[in-house]
Amino acid sequence: MKWRYFKQALFFAIVRLSSLIIVLALGGILFYVIINGIGVISWDFITKPPTDSMTKGGIMPAILGTLYLTSGAIVVGLPLGIVSAIYLTEYAKQGRIIRIIKVGINCLAGVPSVVFGLFGLGFFVVLMKFGSSILAGSLTLGFLILPTIIGAAEEALKSVPQTFREASLSLGVSKWQTTFRIVLPNAMPGILTGSILGIGRAAGETAPIMFTAAAFFTTKLPSSIFDEVMALPYHIYVLATAGTNIEATRPIQYGTVLVLVAVVLGIDLLAIIIRGYMRKNKKW
Amino acid sequence: MVDMDPNAIINMHNVSFYYGQSRALTDITMSIKKKNVTALIGPSGCGKSTLLRLLNRMNDLIDGTRVEGEILFEGKNIYASDIDPVEIRRKIGMVFQKPNPFPKTIYNNIAYGPKLTSTNNNDMDTLVEQSLKQAVLWDEVKDILNKSAMNLSGGQQQRLCIARALAMKPDILLMDEPTSALDPISTAKIEELIEELKKDYTIIIVTHNMQQAARISDETAFFYLGNLVEYNKTEKIFTNPDVKHTEDYITGRFG
Repeated sequence: MKWRYFKQALFFAIVRLSSLIIVLALGGILFYVIINGIGVISWDFITKPPTDSMTKGGIMPAILGTLYLTSGAIVVGLPLGIVSAIYLTEYAKQGRIIRIIKVGINCLAGVPSVVFGLFGLGFFVVLMKFGSSILAGSLTLGFLILPTIIGAAEEALKSVPQTFREASLSLGVSKWQTTFRIVLPNAMPGILTGSILGIGRAAGETAPIMFTAAAFFTTKLPSSIFDEVMALPYHIYVLATAGTNIEATRPIQYGTVLVLVAVVLGIDLLAIIIRGYMRKNKKW
Repeated sequence: MVDMDPNAIINMHNVSFYYGQSRALTDITMSIKKKNVTALIGPSGCGKSTLLRLLNRMNDLIDGTRVEGEILFEGKNIYASDIDPVEIRRKIGMVFQKPNPFPKTIYNNIAYGPKLTSTNNNDMDTLVEQSLKQAVLWDEVKDILNKSAMNLSGGQQQRLCIARALAMKPDILLMDEPTSALDPISTAKIEELIEELKKDYTIIIVTHNMQQAARISDETAFFYLGNLVEYNKTEKIFTNPDVKHTEDYITGRFG
């Protein structure tokens, strides 16, 4: 008997410890970034471009670039992902072909991001002649987050009660109207929740944009989607590896990391607020 | 069973239905009288709900099903290849076992169908009021039309679903155990409502409640294992059925 209680206590201890390690890891990273980065954060840091070979000044172009690229990725990935998920869950006859497509989507999710970067370089930058630009970068990031969005949207669509579909169809409302008027609005909060992960990833990725969108250094802000931009993750990479004076830029590196984390959290927060707003009517 | 009854709105001829390999209905031939209440009774799994859902082609939604025979609605086979199931469902409405209002306002629950299916929407307010009055819900909700339908009680929700179906001005109303999820008072209200509605509509109702069938229906069909065992005047079924099997079921000897 005692042994059984001991086993239970041991098991609970392991479970608790695992959770604690995760929280500590996250907290540790955040703490480290904040401690090291907070010193350089100032109004000028987030509103001024870099100066003196990036050893001084701010990171405003990179912040803006990341916002552009992330928004672009959402514009590309969200509609495409939602429409694909609608096809997969609402329209397609479940069978072998659908299974193959789903395996394909899951494989896409496992493809290293640098491969997406090379694909973007080959296809969007060179073949489509978009050049290294916001457009090419957004498309590349959009494809990168597509599997996440499709997965989230599929789950959300499936969780809409079948009775809603039946009720709508039984009124003589067509299938696509049912899908767009009843199913999709009720799935939207779930789709956004799941997509947050993908969107956060789009903001933080370096490899997909280094060949397709990111500029090493530019003081000029983009005037169209065909311009290159600086971006936070790539800026960190550049400062840490290719800067003229790596030691001198260290505080700026930490500051940039802190801003990147804040931007990602900000995007998440925005999605959470939109989701909350959409959820207000949801009661079932 | 009369084949070409002039009062019939639906005529089924040798209808069989399959889920994949398994047969759920065998060779059903029956006709449904206009502006009557027809009750479908029988133990669980006897095929009565399947039959109901055949009549507005809701079974189309399930993959791997197959229909044989023909179901004539106003003289036309609703399973003919040139028939649009969406059109059929506009004329043959349905109320489900569990109240299933949309997570919308009461007003928009009613207006949803007409808005999307008709070109003439200039008097939506009147239509909403009419439908709610027909479903005897108007007095309870007229001041909260813009509140979510999810806040209504189960019985109110079910009457809202009836009103929602009526707003499409159907010819037939199919009801799949509409009171099985409701308390006795709500049930009584729905039964009264059915009594009222049969003046204007043909009603086909599946029920597990024998007393309910006896109270509200004009004709009753008893199903067992996918077969139509007996189809007769309700009075006859419940007092002096032709088939011994029916009597056994009704008196509770099995099922």
